[in-house]
Amino acid sequence: MGHRDIPVLESNRLILRGPASEDYPDFKATFASYRSRFMGGPLNAYEAWMLYAAEIGHWEIRGYGMWMIHDKATEETLGMAGGWFPSKWPEREIAWIIWPDKAGHGYALEAVHEVRGFLYAQGGWGGAVSYIDPKNLDSIRLAERLGCVKDPDAPTIDGSDAVYRHPSPDRLTSGQIRDGIELEIAHYADPLFKPKGWALD
Amino acid sequence: MTDVPELTTERLVLRGPVGDDFATFAAFYASDAARYIGGPLGIADAWRLFAADVGHWSLKGFGWWTVIEDDTVVGSVGLHHPAHHDDIEIGWNTYSGAEGRGIATEAATAALNWAASVLKPERLVSYIAESNLASMKLAERLGATLQPGRASHAADNLIYLHDLSRYAK
Repeated sequence: MGHRDIPVLESNRLILRGPASEDYPDFKATFASYRSRFMGGPLNAYEAWMLYAAEIGHWEIRGYGMWMIHDKATEETLGMAGGWFPSKWPEREIAWIIWPDKAGHGYALEAVHEVRGFLYAQGGWGGAVSYIDPKNLDSIRLAERLGCVKDPDAPTIDGSDAVYRHPSPDRLTSGQIRDGIELEIAHYADPLFKPKGWALD
Repeated sequence: MTDVPELTTERLVLRGPVGDDFATFAAFYASDAARYIGGPLGIADAWRLFAADVGHWSLKGFGWWTVIEDDTVVGSVGLHHPAHHDDIEIGWNTYSGAEGRGIATEAATAALNWAASVLKPERLVSYIAESNLASMKLAERLGATLQPGRASHAADNLIYLHDLSRYAK
């Protein structure tokens, strides 16, 4: 079953939909794995299922939430990205997770760029943060590629996470940050061109 | 999400949970009354549980109702089947101040009628902590019978099997 109200977003290579029951096995596999160690995991079967149900409930309660990322061509799921604001979160967060065997293709960059644009333009968000474990270097690198800057003065969730502040809607509407992100996404989509460095996420 | 069916009884309205119900939900789960059902919970854990209860309807097509009496939230009743539980379960919670007036009995009866006429599960159980005497009495009043063994997901939980043939068809 699906959720009737969650908007469907499309980018170059991806289609983003609300989480559905048939996507649960992919979510569970990642949250049962070491991959989820920076996101409260690994989780047992019950915890993973309750978190997945909560991902959907979050949409109902907040009006926004996490999308399931699909490959536009094959429909297979690649991970999740979206807005996350459970109780006790100091600010609204933009969050992401890519399944371990789908990393390295710039999917998170493309998906987060898409959902951030949507949350800013349609959701009326004036900004956002991402709470990242300081040891999660892949995610920190991604946040930096997305134009985020570490905000050492912002309140954290529990003191064990670092706060990365996303560029404001104004800064993102024009200028080098957006151009750089879109150029990098285009490079991933067209393998003839290799971006500098290596995609970690 | 899935449209949650609204059920009405003599005194109560059962409707889908909404964000505004969270404060009452969190207060209940923070209290000692939640000790038989995995509590007491802090607010972050309570929020995740509440969001999961809301999301259950979309994932499964059935789930939890918020129980309303005279515009006041007095409890919750629900059909749920999280991964790792063997069977679909019906559960009930009566919030502080509303106990002792048969609220849970009335709400659970409405949910059982809906289950018998719409959901029609092959088996419907209640998993009840062995020290939760009030809930066991309620299960028996509703026609459920104690089964041998314990719940596979929680060794201190007894299994009561409901008899849906007693409820509306």
